[in-house]
Amino acid sequence: MRHRRAPSTHRRRAGYLFCLPGMAFLALFLAYPLLYNIWTSVHDVELSSLLGGAERFNGLENYRAVVDDAAFWHSVRLSLIFTIGSLVLQFILGFALALLFVRPFPLNGLLRSLLLVAWLLPPVVSGTLFRWLLDAESGAYNALLRAVGLGSLSHDWLTDPSTSLAGVVFANIWVGVPFNMLLLLVGLHTIDPQLYEAAAIDGAGAWQRLRRITLPLMRPVSVTVLLLGLIYTFKVFDLIFVMTGGGPVDATRVLSLYVYEVFFKFFRFGQGAAAGLLLLVVPLLTGVWYVRRLRREEPAGGSA
Amino acid sequence: MKPPRHPWLLTAVATLITAAFLLPVYWMAKTSLTPPDRILTPSPQWVPAPLTGENYSTALDYEGLPRALLNSLVISSGVVAVTLLLGVPLAYALARVPMRGSGGMVLALLVAQLPPAIVLAAPLFILERRAGLDDTYVGLIAADTTLTLPFTVIVLRPVLRSIPRELEEAALVDGCGLLGVLLRVVLPLMVPGLVAAAGLAFLIGWGEFLFGLTLAAGPDVQPVTVLLNAFVGQHGTSWGALMATATLISLPVVCVFALFQRFIVGGLTAGSVRG
Repeated sequence: MRHRRAPSTHRRRAGYLFCLPGMAFLALFLAYPLLYNIWTSVHDVELSSLLGGAERFNGLENYRAVVDDAAFWHSVRLSLIFTIGSLVLQFILGFALALLFVRPFPLNGLLRSLLLVAWLLPPVVSGTLFRWLLDAESGAYNALLRAVGLGSLSHDWLTDPSTSLAGVVFANIWVGVPFNMLLLLVGLHTIDPQLYEAAAIDGAGAWQRLRRITLPLMRPVSVTVLLLGLIYTFKVFDLIFVMTGGGPVDATRVLSLYVYEVFFKFFRFGQGAAAGLLLLVVPLLTGVWYVRRLRREEPAGGSA
Repeated sequence: MKPPRHPWLLTAVATLITAAFLLPVYWMAKTSLTPPDRILTPSPQWVPAPLTGENYSTALDYEGLPRALLNSLVISSGVVAVTLLLGVPLAYALARVPMRGSGGMVLALLVAQLPPAIVLAAPLFILERRAGLDDTYVGLIAADTTLTLPFTVIVLRPVLRSIPRELEEAALVDGCGLLGVLLRVVLPLMVPGLVAAAGLAFLIGWGEFLFGLTLAAGPDVQPVTVLLNAFVGQHGTSWGALMATATLISLPVVCVFALFQRFIVGGLTAGSVRG
Protein backbone atom coordinates (compact mmCIF):
# COMPACT_ATOMS: atom_id res chain seq x y z
CA MET A 1 0.00 0.00 0.00
CA ARG A 2 1.28 3.46 -0.88
CA HIS A 3 1.58 6.10 1.78
CA ARG A 4 -0.99 8.81 1.48
CA ARG A 5 -1.07 12.12 3.24
CA ALA A 6 -1.64 11.84 6.95
CA PRO A 7 -5.34 11.82 7.73
CA SER A 8 -6.35 15.05 9.35
CA THR A 9 -7.49 14.98 12.93
CA HIS A 10 -10.68 16.50 11.64
CA ARG A 11 -11.35 13.47 9.50
CA ARG A 12 -10.55 11.13 12.34
CA ARG A 13 -12.89 12.98 14.65
CA ALA A 14 -15.65 12.69 12.06
CA GLY A 15 -14.91 8.97 11.87
CA TYR A 16 -15.40 8.54 15.59
CA LEU A 17 -18.64 10.48 15.35
CA PHE A 18 -19.79 8.10 12.64
CA CYS A 19 -19.09 5.12 14.90
CA LEU A 20 -20.67 6.60 17.96
CA PRO A 21 -24.42 6.05 17.37
CA GLY A 22 -24.05 2.43 16.30
CA MET A 23 -21.58 1.48 19.01
CA ALA A 24 -23.59 3.34 21.66
CA PHE A 25 -26.68 1.45 20.58
CA LEU A 26 -24.90 -1.88 20.87
CA ALA A 27 -23.45 -0.91 24.21
CA LEU A 28 -26.90 -0.08 25.52
CA PHE A 29 -28.93 -2.94 24.06
CA LEU A 30 -26.36 -5.70 23.76
CA ALA A 31 -23.33 -5.23 26.01
CA TYR A 32 -25.15 -3.77 28.98
CA PRO A 33 -27.86 -6.47 29.07
CA LEU A 34 -25.20 -9.17 28.86
CA LEU A 35 -23.26 -7.61 31.72
CA TYR A 36 -26.50 -7.22 33.62
CA ASN A 37 -27.00 -10.92 33.06
CA ILE A 38 -23.75 -11.59 34.89
CA TRP A 39 -24.94 -9.41 37.76
CA THR A 40 -28.27 -11.25 37.84
CA SER A 41 -26.52 -14.59 37.88
CA VAL A 42 -24.90 -13.85 41.25
CA HIS A 43 -28.03 -12.43 42.85
CA ASP A 44 -31.22 -13.90 44.14
CA VAL A 45 -33.63 -12.40 41.61
CA GLU A 46 -37.23 -13.54 41.39
CA LEU A 47 -40.38 -12.19 39.85
CA SER A 48 -40.98 -9.90 42.84
CA SER A 49 -37.75 -8.06 42.05
CA LEU A 50 -39.40 -6.67 38.95
CA LEU A 51 -41.84 -4.89 41.19
CA GLY A 52 -39.04 -3.22 43.09
CA GLY A 53 -37.93 -5.75 45.70
CA ALA A 54 -34.29 -5.82 46.76
CA GLU A 55 -32.02 -8.47 45.30
CA ARG A 56 -29.68 -10.29 47.61
CA PHE A 57 -26.13 -11.16 46.52
CA ASN A 58 -25.82 -14.91 46.70
CA GLY A 59 -22.44 -15.66 45.15
CA LEU A 60 -22.31 -18.80 43.09
CA GLU A 61 -25.50 -20.27 44.51
CA ASN A 62 -27.38 -19.91 41.20
CA TYR A 63 -24.61 -21.67 39.36
CA ARG A 64 -24.62 -24.45 41.94
CA ALA A 65 -28.39 -24.82 41.55
CA VAL A 66 -27.96 -25.19 37.79
CA VAL A 67 -25.07 -27.64 37.98
CA ASP A 68 -26.94 -29.71 40.56
CA ASP A 69 -30.01 -29.88 38.33
CA ALA A 70 -30.19 -33.19 36.51
CA ALA A 71 -32.44 -31.54 33.91
CA PHE A 72 -29.58 -29.19 33.02
CA TRP A 73 -27.23 -32.03 32.21
CA HIS A 74 -29.98 -33.77 30.28
CA SER A 75 -30.29 -30.58 28.20
CA VAL A 76 -26.54 -30.44 27.64
CA ARG A 77 -26.66 -33.99 26.33
CA LEU A 78 -29.59 -33.19 24.03
CA SER A 79 -27.87 -30.06 22.75
CA LEU A 80 -24.77 -32.07 21.92
CA ILE A 81 -26.73 -34.75 20.08
CA PHE A 82 -28.83 -32.16 18.27
CA THR A 83 -25.80 -30.11 17.26
CA ILE A 84 -23.55 -32.95 16.19
CA GLY A 85 -26.34 -34.80 14.38
CA SER A 86 -27.40 -31.67 12.51
CA LEU A 87 -23.86 -30.55 11.71
CA VAL A 88 -22.59 -33.83 10.32
CA LEU A 89 -25.56 -34.48 8.06
CA GLN A 90 -25.97 -30.85 6.97
CA PHE A 91 -22.33 -30.79 6.04
CA ILE A 92 -22.30 -34.06 4.12
CA LEU A 93 -25.49 -33.25 2.20
CA GLY A 94 -24.37 -29.66 1.62
CA PHE A 95 -21.01 -30.89 0.32
CA ALA A 96 -22.66 -33.36 -2.04
CA LEU A 97 -24.94 -30.65 -3.40
CA ALA A 98 -22.04 -28.24 -3.76
CA LEU A 99 -20.13 -30.86 -5.80
CA LEU A 100 -23.14 -31.08 -8.10
CA PHE A 101 -23.73 -27.35 -8.39
CA VAL A 102 -20.08 -26.44 -8.95
CA ARG A 103 -20.40 -27.95 -12.42
CA PRO A 104 -21.86 -25.73 -15.10
CA PHE A 105 -25.26 -26.78 -16.40
CA PRO A 106 -28.37 -24.99 -17.63
CA LEU A 107 -30.60 -23.55 -14.87
CA ASN A 108 -27.84 -24.00 -12.29
CA GLY A 109 -28.33 -20.55 -10.77
CA LEU A 110 -32.10 -20.79 -10.63
CA LEU A 111 -32.15 -24.19 -8.93
CA ARG A 112 -29.47 -23.12 -6.46
CA SER A 113 -31.52 -20.08 -5.48
CA LEU A 114 -34.64 -22.18 -5.06
CA LEU A 115 -32.79 -24.42 -2.61
CA LEU A 116 -31.92 -21.39 -0.51
CA VAL A 117 -35.60 -20.73 0.14
CA ALA A 118 -35.51 -23.50 2.75
CA TRP A 119 -32.86 -21.61 4.66
CA LEU A 120 -34.59 -18.24 4.42
CA LEU A 121 -38.01 -19.25 5.70
CA PRO A 122 -38.59 -18.01 9.24
CA PRO A 123 -37.81 -20.89 11.64
CA VAL A 124 -41.31 -20.60 13.07
CA VAL A 125 -42.74 -21.30 9.64
CA SER A 126 -40.46 -24.28 9.02
CA GLY A 127 -41.20 -25.57 12.51
CA THR A 128 -44.95 -25.41 11.98
CA LEU A 129 -44.52 -26.92 8.55
CA PHE A 130 -42.51 -29.91 9.81
CA ARG A 131 -45.00 -30.47 12.59
CA TRP A 132 -47.54 -30.97 9.88
CA LEU A 133 -45.26 -32.99 7.59
CA LEU A 134 -44.41 -35.37 10.45
CA ASP A 135 -48.03 -35.70 11.57
CA ALA A 136 -49.01 -39.27 12.42
CA GLU A 137 -52.09 -39.79 10.27
CA SER A 138 -52.03 -37.33 7.41
CA GLY A 139 -48.44 -36.10 7.39
CA ALA A 140 -46.72 -36.10 4.02
CA TYR A 141 -43.73 -38.18 5.14
CA ASN A 142 -45.82 -40.96 6.61
CA ALA A 143 -47.97 -40.94 3.47
CA LEU A 144 -44.78 -41.18 1.45
CA LEU A 145 -43.60 -44.15 3.52
CA ARG A 146 -46.93 -45.89 3.04
CA ALA A 147 -46.86 -45.14 -0.69
CA VAL A 148 -43.51 -46.93 -1.13
CA GLY A 149 -44.58 -49.88 0.98
CA LEU A 150 -42.76 -48.92 4.17
CA GLY A 151 -46.00 -48.23 6.00
CA SER A 152 -44.74 -50.17 9.01
CA LEU A 153 -42.19 -47.40 9.63
CA SER A 154 -44.78 -44.64 9.65
CA HIS A 155 -45.61 -43.31 13.06
CA ASP A 156 -46.08 -40.22 15.16
CA TRP A 157 -42.52 -38.93 14.98
CA LEU A 158 -42.80 -35.91 17.22
CA THR A 159 -44.97 -37.25 20.02
CA ASP A 160 -42.97 -40.43 20.46
CA PRO A 161 -40.14 -39.56 22.89
CA SER A 162 -37.78 -41.99 21.19
CA THR A 163 -38.05 -40.31 17.78
CA SER A 164 -38.90 -36.68 18.57
CA LEU A 165 -35.26 -35.60 18.74
CA ALA A 166 -34.62 -37.25 15.38
CA GLY A 167 -37.64 -35.33 14.08
CA VAL A 168 -36.28 -31.93 15.07
CA VAL A 169 -32.80 -32.83 13.83
CA PHE A 170 -34.36 -33.82 10.52
CA ALA A 171 -36.09 -30.44 10.22
CA ASN A 172 -32.94 -28.59 11.22
CA ILE A 173 -30.88 -30.44 8.62
CA TRP A 174 -33.38 -29.32 6.01
CA VAL A 175 -32.94 -25.73 7.14
CA GLY A 176 -29.14 -25.91 7.20
CA VAL A 177 -28.24 -27.82 4.04
CA PRO A 178 -28.60 -24.86 1.62
CA PHE A 179 -26.39 -22.65 3.76
CA ASN A 180 -23.68 -25.30 3.92
CA MET A 181 -23.97 -25.81 0.20
CA LEU A 182 -23.65 -22.10 -0.53
CA LEU A 183 -20.50 -21.60 1.53
CA LEU A 184 -18.88 -24.82 0.32
CA LEU A 185 -19.66 -23.82 -3.25
CA VAL A 186 -17.70 -20.60 -2.75
CA GLY A 187 -14.78 -22.75 -1.59
CA LEU A 188 -15.04 -25.16 -4.50
CA HIS A 189 -14.97 -22.32 -6.99
CA THR A 190 -11.57 -21.22 -5.68
CA ILE A 191 -9.91 -24.53 -6.60
CA ASP A 192 -7.75 -24.16 -9.68
CA PRO A 193 -9.37 -26.19 -12.52
CA GLN A 194 -5.94 -26.95 -13.93
CA LEU A 195 -5.31 -29.23 -10.98
CA TYR A 196 -8.17 -31.45 -12.10
CA GLU A 197 -7.04 -31.36 -15.70
CA ALA A 198 -3.52 -32.36 -14.74
CA ALA A 199 -4.83 -35.15 -12.55
CA ALA A 200 -7.13 -36.38 -15.32
CA ILE A 201 -4.19 -36.50 -17.73
CA ASP A 202 -2.30 -38.54 -15.16
CA GLY A 203 -5.19 -40.96 -15.24
CA ALA A 204 -6.84 -40.12 -11.92
CA GLY A 205 -10.47 -41.18 -11.79
CA ALA A 206 -13.29 -39.05 -10.42
CA TRP A 207 -13.07 -40.65 -6.98
CA GLN A 208 -9.34 -40.14 -6.76
CA ARG A 209 -9.65 -36.52 -7.87
CA LEU A 210 -12.19 -35.98 -5.10
CA ARG A 211 -10.02 -37.65 -2.46
CA ARG A 212 -6.64 -36.29 -3.52
CA ILE A 213 -7.53 -32.78 -4.68
CA THR A 214 -10.95 -31.59 -3.62
CA LEU A 215 -11.07 -32.82 -0.05
CA PRO A 216 -7.59 -31.68 1.04
CA LEU A 217 -8.00 -28.27 -0.59
CA MET A 218 -11.44 -27.83 0.94
CA ARG A 219 -10.20 -28.40 4.47
CA PRO A 220 -9.88 -24.75 5.53
CA VAL A 221 -13.29 -23.80 4.13
CA SER A 222 -14.82 -26.89 5.68
CA VAL A 223 -13.50 -26.02 9.11
CA THR A 224 -14.92 -22.50 8.74
CA VAL A 225 -18.30 -23.82 7.66
CA LEU A 226 -18.40 -26.31 10.53
CA LEU A 227 -17.42 -23.68 13.09
CA LEU A 228 -20.13 -21.31 11.86
CA GLY A 229 -22.58 -24.19 11.82
CA LEU A 230 -21.64 -25.09 15.38
CA ILE A 231 -22.34 -21.54 16.55
CA TYR A 232 -25.69 -21.37 14.74
CA THR A 233 -26.86 -24.85 15.60
CA PHE A 234 -26.03 -24.67 19.29
CA LYS A 235 -28.22 -21.56 19.53
CA VAL A 236 -31.29 -22.99 17.78
CA PHE A 237 -34.43 -22.17 19.73
CA ASP A 238 -37.37 -21.20 17.50
CA LEU A 239 -37.51 -24.35 15.42
CA ILE A 240 -37.53 -26.75 18.36
CA PHE A 241 -39.80 -24.57 20.47
CA VAL A 242 -42.43 -24.51 17.73
CA MET A 243 -42.09 -28.17 16.77
CA THR A 244 -42.20 -29.78 20.20
CA GLY A 245 -41.92 -27.11 22.89
CA GLY A 246 -39.13 -29.26 24.30
CA GLY A 247 -41.35 -32.29 24.71
CA PRO A 248 -42.71 -34.84 24.83
CA VAL A 249 -41.87 -34.34 28.52
CA ASP A 250 -38.24 -33.30 28.08
CA ALA A 251 -37.15 -35.38 25.10
CA THR A 252 -36.15 -32.35 23.00
CA ARG A 253 -35.51 -29.76 25.70
CA VAL A 254 -32.11 -28.59 24.49
CA LEU A 255 -30.09 -26.05 26.46
CA SER A 256 -31.68 -22.94 24.95
CA LEU A 257 -35.15 -24.23 25.82
CA TYR A 258 -33.97 -25.13 29.31
CA VAL A 259 -32.80 -21.55 29.86
CA TYR A 260 -36.11 -20.27 28.52
CA GLU A 261 -38.08 -22.44 30.91
CA VAL A 262 -36.09 -21.52 34.00
CA PHE A 263 -36.32 -17.85 33.15
CA PHE A 264 -39.70 -17.31 31.55
CA LYS A 265 -41.74 -20.20 32.92
CA PHE A 266 -40.50 -20.46 36.49
CA PHE A 267 -39.29 -16.85 36.69
CA ARG A 268 -36.11 -17.90 38.47
CA PHE A 269 -34.15 -15.04 36.96
CA GLY A 270 -30.90 -15.57 38.84
CA GLN A 271 -30.72 -19.23 37.98
CA GLY A 272 -31.84 -18.56 34.41
CA ALA A 273 -29.08 -15.99 33.99
CA ALA A 274 -26.51 -18.45 35.31
CA ALA A 275 -27.75 -21.16 32.95
CA GLY A 276 -27.71 -18.66 30.08
CA LEU A 277 -24.10 -17.81 30.73
CA LEU A 278 -23.23 -21.49 30.72
CA LEU A 279 -25.04 -21.74 27.37
CA LEU A 280 -22.87 -18.88 26.11
CA VAL A 281 -19.65 -20.82 26.70
CA VAL A 282 -19.80 -23.01 23.59
CA PRO A 283 -20.56 -20.27 21.02
CA LEU A 284 -18.03 -17.99 22.66
CA LEU A 285 -15.19 -20.51 22.59
CA THR A 286 -16.09 -21.50 19.03
CA GLY A 287 -16.23 -17.84 18.08
CA VAL A 288 -12.80 -17.13 19.52
CA TRP A 289 -11.40 -20.03 17.54
CA TYR A 290 -13.17 -18.79 14.40
CA VAL A 291 -11.90 -15.22 14.74
CA ARG A 292 -8.37 -16.44 15.32
CA ARG A 293 -8.57 -18.47 12.14
CA LEU A 294 -9.85 -15.45 10.21
CA ARG A 295 -6.97 -13.38 11.51
CA ARG A 296 -4.47 -15.99 10.48
CA GLU A 297 -5.89 -16.32 6.99
CA GLU A 298 -6.29 -12.62 6.35
CA PRO A 299 -2.73 -11.77 5.31
CA ALA A 300 -2.63 -14.72 2.92
CA GLY A 301 -6.14 -14.44 1.56
CA GLY A 302 -6.08 -10.65 1.35
CA SER A 303 -9.05 -8.59 2.47
CA ALA A 304 -10.83 -7.38 -0.60
CA MET B 1 -13.73 -27.58 -14.31
CA LYS B 2 -14.27 -28.81 -17.84
CA PRO B 3 -17.80 -28.62 -19.20
CA PRO B 4 -19.72 -31.82 -18.53
CA ARG B 5 -20.54 -34.03 -21.47
CA HIS B 6 -24.28 -34.02 -20.85
CA PRO B 7 -25.12 -30.73 -19.17
CA TRP B 8 -28.86 -31.36 -19.45
CA LEU B 9 -28.47 -34.64 -17.61
CA LEU B 10 -27.04 -32.69 -14.70
CA THR B 11 -29.94 -30.26 -14.96
CA ALA B 12 -32.34 -33.17 -14.73
CA VAL B 13 -30.59 -34.59 -11.66
CA ALA B 14 -30.42 -31.19 -9.99
CA THR B 15 -34.07 -30.51 -10.76
CA LEU B 16 -35.13 -33.79 -9.20
CA ILE B 17 -33.08 -33.11 -6.07
CA THR B 18 -34.40 -29.57 -5.79
CA ALA B 19 -37.97 -30.76 -6.22
CA ALA B 20 -37.57 -33.42 -3.53
CA PHE B 21 -35.86 -30.95 -1.24
CA LEU B 22 -38.58 -28.36 -1.65
CA LEU B 23 -41.40 -30.84 -1.13
CA PRO B 24 -42.13 -29.29 2.31
CA VAL B 25 -42.65 -25.85 0.78
CA TYR B 26 -44.92 -27.31 -1.89
CA TRP B 27 -46.80 -29.19 0.81
CA MET B 28 -47.34 -25.99 2.76
CA ALA B 29 -48.83 -24.18 -0.24
CA LYS B 30 -50.77 -27.26 -1.31
CA THR B 31 -52.35 -27.78 2.10
CA SER B 32 -53.28 -24.12 2.31
CA LEU B 33 -55.25 -24.47 -0.94
CA THR B 34 -56.95 -27.79 -0.18
CA PRO B 35 -60.54 -27.89 1.11
CA PRO B 36 -60.38 -28.44 4.90
CA ASP B 37 -62.34 -31.71 4.83
CA ARG B 38 -59.81 -33.28 2.46
CA ILE B 39 -56.72 -32.45 4.47
CA LEU B 40 -56.87 -34.91 7.34
CA THR B 41 -56.90 -38.13 5.40
CA PRO B 42 -54.53 -41.11 5.58
CA SER B 43 -53.88 -40.83 1.85
CA PRO B 44 -53.41 -37.13 1.10
CA GLN B 45 -53.87 -35.81 -2.42
CA TRP B 46 -50.68 -34.68 -4.10
CA VAL B 47 -52.47 -32.07 -6.11
CA PRO B 48 -55.22 -30.05 -4.48
CA ALA B 49 -58.55 -30.32 -6.27
CA PRO B 50 -60.67 -28.32 -6.16
CA LEU B 51 -58.52 -25.33 -5.26
CA THR B 52 -59.98 -23.24 -2.49
CA GLY B 53 -59.25 -19.98 -0.71
CA GLU B 54 -61.31 -21.10 2.27
CA ASN B 55 -58.31 -21.68 4.55
CA TYR B 56 -57.10 -18.16 3.94
CA SER B 57 -60.41 -16.60 4.89
CA THR B 58 -60.56 -18.83 7.98
CA ALA B 59 -57.06 -17.76 8.99
CA LEU B 60 -57.73 -14.08 8.41
CA ASP B 61 -60.84 -14.41 10.55
CA TYR B 62 -58.77 -15.78 13.43
CA GLU B 63 -58.31 -13.19 16.07
CA GLY B 64 -55.42 -10.89 15.47
CA LEU B 65 -53.88 -12.17 12.24
CA PRO B 66 -54.22 -8.95 10.18
CA ARG B 67 -53.01 -6.93 13.14
CA ALA B 68 -50.04 -9.26 13.68
CA LEU B 69 -49.07 -9.03 10.02
CA LEU B 70 -49.15 -5.26 10.33
CA ASN B 71 -47.07 -5.42 13.51
CA SER B 72 -44.45 -7.53 11.77
CA LEU B 73 -44.35 -5.09 8.89
CA VAL B 74 -43.86 -2.14 11.25
CA ILE B 75 -41.19 -3.96 13.24
CA SER B 76 -39.20 -5.23 10.29
CA SER B 77 -39.37 -1.85 8.50
CA GLY B 78 -38.18 -0.21 11.71
CA VAL B 79 -35.37 -2.73 11.96
CA VAL B 80 -34.28 -1.98 8.39
CA ALA B 81 -34.36 1.78 8.98
CA VAL B 82 -32.50 1.76 12.30
CA THR B 83 -29.98 -0.81 11.06
CA LEU B 84 -29.05 1.21 7.99
CA LEU B 85 -29.08 4.52 9.84
CA LEU B 86 -26.65 3.25 12.47
CA GLY B 87 -24.84 0.70 10.34
CA VAL B 88 -23.88 2.65 7.23
CA PRO B 89 -21.87 5.42 8.96
CA LEU B 90 -20.31 2.83 11.26
CA ALA B 91 -19.30 0.58 8.38
CA TYR B 92 -18.01 3.55 6.42
CA ALA B 93 -15.83 4.82 9.25
CA LEU B 94 -14.50 1.32 9.91
CA ALA B 95 -13.78 0.79 6.22
CA ARG B 96 -12.18 4.11 5.41
CA VAL B 97 -11.07 6.21 8.34
CA PRO B 98 -7.86 5.12 10.04
CA MET B 99 -8.79 5.27 13.71
CA ARG B 100 -7.33 3.90 16.85
CA GLY B 101 -9.63 1.16 18.10
CA SER B 102 -11.20 0.29 14.77
CA GLY B 103 -9.73 -3.21 14.93
CA GLY B 104 -11.24 -3.60 18.37
CA MET B 105 -14.61 -2.44 17.12
CA VAL B 106 -14.60 -4.94 14.25
CA LEU B 107 -13.72 -7.68 16.71
CA ALA B 108 -16.53 -6.53 19.00
CA LEU B 109 -18.96 -6.70 16.08
CA LEU B 110 -17.90 -10.26 15.32
CA VAL B 111 -18.27 -11.26 18.96
CA ALA B 112 -21.65 -9.50 19.11
CA GLN B 113 -23.04 -12.16 16.77
CA LEU B 114 -22.21 -15.01 19.10
CA PRO B 115 -24.62 -14.83 22.05
CA PRO B 116 -27.73 -16.99 21.65
CA ALA B 117 -30.86 -14.83 21.50
CA ILE B 118 -32.23 -16.38 24.69
CA VAL B 119 -29.20 -15.15 26.66
CA LEU B 120 -30.04 -11.63 25.53
CA ALA B 121 -33.82 -11.94 25.77
CA ALA B 122 -33.64 -12.75 29.47
CA PRO B 123 -31.92 -9.55 30.69
CA LEU B 124 -33.70 -7.45 28.05
CA PHE B 125 -37.00 -8.65 29.48
CA ILE B 126 -36.10 -7.19 32.89
CA LEU B 127 -34.38 -4.06 31.59
CA GLU B 128 -36.98 -3.11 28.98
CA ARG B 129 -39.67 -3.61 31.56
CA ARG B 130 -37.95 -1.25 33.96
CA ALA B 131 -37.44 1.30 31.18
CA GLY B 132 -41.07 1.00 30.08
CA LEU B 133 -40.01 -0.36 26.69
CA ASP B 134 -41.63 -3.77 27.07
CA ASP B 135 -44.61 -4.33 24.84
CA THR B 136 -43.67 -1.49 22.48
CA TYR B 137 -42.52 -1.40 18.87
CA VAL B 138 -39.42 0.49 19.97
CA GLY B 139 -38.45 -2.26 22.41
CA LEU B 140 -38.85 -4.95 19.77
CA ILE B 141 -37.10 -3.00 17.04
CA ALA B 142 -34.18 -2.32 19.36
CA ALA B 143 -33.93 -5.98 20.34
CA ASP B 144 -34.07 -7.17 16.72
CA THR B 145 -31.49 -4.59 15.69
CA THR B 146 -28.95 -6.17 18.04
CA LEU B 147 -29.12 -9.12 15.61
CA THR B 148 -28.98 -7.16 12.37
CA LEU B 149 -26.57 -4.31 13.10
CA PRO B 150 -23.32 -6.26 13.69
CA PHE B 151 -24.07 -8.48 10.72
CA THR B 152 -24.85 -5.52 8.45
CA VAL B 153 -21.63 -3.69 9.31
CA ILE B 154 -19.61 -6.84 8.64
CA VAL B 155 -21.34 -7.25 5.26
CA LEU B 156 -21.06 -3.59 4.25
CA ARG B 157 -17.44 -3.01 5.21
CA PRO B 158 -15.94 -4.93 2.27
CA VAL B 159 -18.51 -3.33 -0.06
CA LEU B 160 -17.37 0.11 1.04
CA ARG B 161 -13.73 -0.84 0.69
CA SER B 162 -14.24 -1.85 -2.91
CA ILE B 163 -15.30 1.68 -3.89
CA PRO B 164 -12.38 3.47 -5.57
CA ARG B 165 -10.78 5.80 -3.06
CA GLU B 166 -9.95 8.40 -5.69
CA LEU B 167 -13.59 9.41 -6.05
CA GLU B 168 -13.87 10.19 -2.37
CA GLU B 169 -10.59 12.03 -2.26
CA ALA B 170 -11.63 14.29 -5.10
CA ALA B 171 -14.74 15.20 -3.14
CA LEU B 172 -12.70 15.74 0.03
CA VAL B 173 -10.39 18.10 -1.83
CA ASP B 174 -13.44 19.96 -3.05
CA GLY B 175 -14.22 20.71 0.56
CA CYS B 176 -16.85 18.10 1.33
CA GLY B 177 -16.87 16.88 4.93
CA LEU B 178 -16.90 13.16 5.68
CA LEU B 179 -20.70 13.23 5.84
CA GLY B 180 -20.90 14.99 2.48
CA VAL B 181 -18.64 12.38 0.92
CA LEU B 182 -20.71 9.57 2.35
CA LEU B 183 -24.03 11.01 1.22
CA ARG B 184 -23.06 12.40 -2.17
CA VAL B 185 -20.33 10.10 -3.40
CA VAL B 186 -20.37 6.82 -1.53
CA LEU B 187 -24.07 6.07 -1.03
CA PRO B 188 -24.98 6.20 -4.74
CA LEU B 189 -22.10 3.82 -5.46
CA MET B 190 -23.08 1.27 -2.84
CA VAL B 191 -26.72 0.78 -3.80
CA PRO B 192 -26.36 -2.98 -4.45
CA GLY B 193 -24.71 -3.47 -1.08
CA LEU B 194 -27.35 -1.36 0.61
CA VAL B 195 -30.11 -3.34 -1.03
CA ALA B 196 -28.57 -6.60 0.16
CA ALA B 197 -28.15 -5.26 3.69
CA ALA B 198 -31.71 -3.91 3.77
CA GLY B 199 -33.09 -7.18 2.40
CA LEU B 200 -31.24 -9.27 4.97
CA ALA B 201 -32.24 -6.99 7.82
CA PHE B 202 -35.84 -7.22 6.68
CA LEU B 203 -35.72 -11.01 6.53
CA ILE B 204 -34.23 -11.23 10.02
CA GLY B 205 -36.74 -8.76 11.47
CA TRP B 206 -39.69 -10.40 9.73
CA GLY B 207 -38.80 -13.90 10.86
CA GLU B 208 -37.71 -13.05 14.40
CA PHE B 209 -39.57 -15.00 17.05
CA LEU B 210 -37.93 -15.16 20.46
CA PHE B 211 -37.85 -11.43 21.21
CA GLY B 212 -41.45 -11.20 20.03
CA LEU B 213 -42.35 -14.06 22.35
CA THR B 214 -40.64 -12.62 25.41
CA LEU B 215 -40.78 -8.83 24.99
CA ALA B 216 -44.30 -8.38 23.58
CA ALA B 217 -47.03 -9.10 26.08
CA GLY B 218 -50.13 -8.48 24.03
CA PRO B 219 -51.62 -8.46 20.54
CA ASP B 220 -50.92 -4.74 20.05
CA VAL B 221 -47.30 -5.21 19.04
CA GLN B 222 -47.01 -9.01 18.77
CA PRO B 223 -45.33 -10.11 15.53
CA VAL B 224 -47.03 -12.65 13.30
CA THR B 225 -44.43 -15.33 14.03
CA VAL B 226 -45.56 -15.40 17.65
CA LEU B 227 -49.18 -15.55 16.59
CA LEU B 228 -48.51 -18.50 14.28
CA ASN B 229 -47.02 -20.39 17.21
CA ALA B 230 -50.07 -19.52 19.31
CA PHE B 231 -52.35 -20.74 16.51
CA VAL B 232 -50.58 -24.10 16.54
CA GLY B 233 -51.67 -24.42 20.16
CA GLN B 234 -55.21 -23.11 19.68
CA HIS B 235 -56.16 -24.58 16.32
CA GLY B 236 -53.98 -27.68 16.54
CA THR B 237 -55.47 -29.73 13.74
CA SER B 238 -56.79 -26.99 11.45
CA TRP B 239 -53.78 -27.54 9.23
CA GLY B 240 -55.38 -25.77 6.29
CA ALA B 241 -55.66 -22.47 8.14
CA LEU B 242 -52.27 -22.96 9.83
CA MET B 243 -50.57 -23.56 6.49
CA ALA B 244 -52.43 -20.57 5.03
CA THR B 245 -50.97 -18.45 7.83
CA ALA B 246 -47.51 -19.94 7.29
CA THR B 247 -47.79 -19.24 3.56
CA LEU B 248 -48.83 -15.64 4.22
CA ILE B 249 -45.73 -15.21 6.41
CA SER B 250 -43.52 -16.80 3.77
CA LEU B 251 -44.72 -14.72 0.83
CA PRO B 252 -42.82 -11.52 1.72
CA VAL B 253 -39.71 -13.62 2.40
CA VAL B 254 -39.87 -15.26 -1.00
CA CYS B 255 -40.65 -11.92 -2.71
CA VAL B 256 -37.79 -10.07 -1.06
CA PHE B 257 -35.44 -12.90 -1.88
CA ALA B 258 -36.63 -13.18 -5.48
CA LEU B 259 -36.21 -9.46 -6.06
CA PHE B 260 -32.79 -9.06 -4.48
CA GLN B 261 -31.52 -12.60 -4.82
CA ARG B 262 -28.18 -11.79 -6.42
CA PHE B 263 -27.28 -9.13 -3.86
CA ILE B 264 -28.40 -11.19 -0.91
CA VAL B 265 -26.44 -14.29 -1.83
CA GLY B 266 -23.35 -12.15 -2.38
CA GLY B 267 -23.83 -10.39 0.94
CA LEU B 268 -24.38 -13.63 2.80
CA THR B 269 -21.25 -15.31 1.58
CA ALA B 270 -19.17 -12.17 2.05
CA GLY B 271 -20.45 -11.74 5.59
CA SER B 272 -19.88 -15.28 6.72
CA VAL B 273 -16.73 -16.46 5.04
CA ARG B 274 -14.63 -13.35 5.13
CA GLY B 275 -15.85 -11.81 8.33
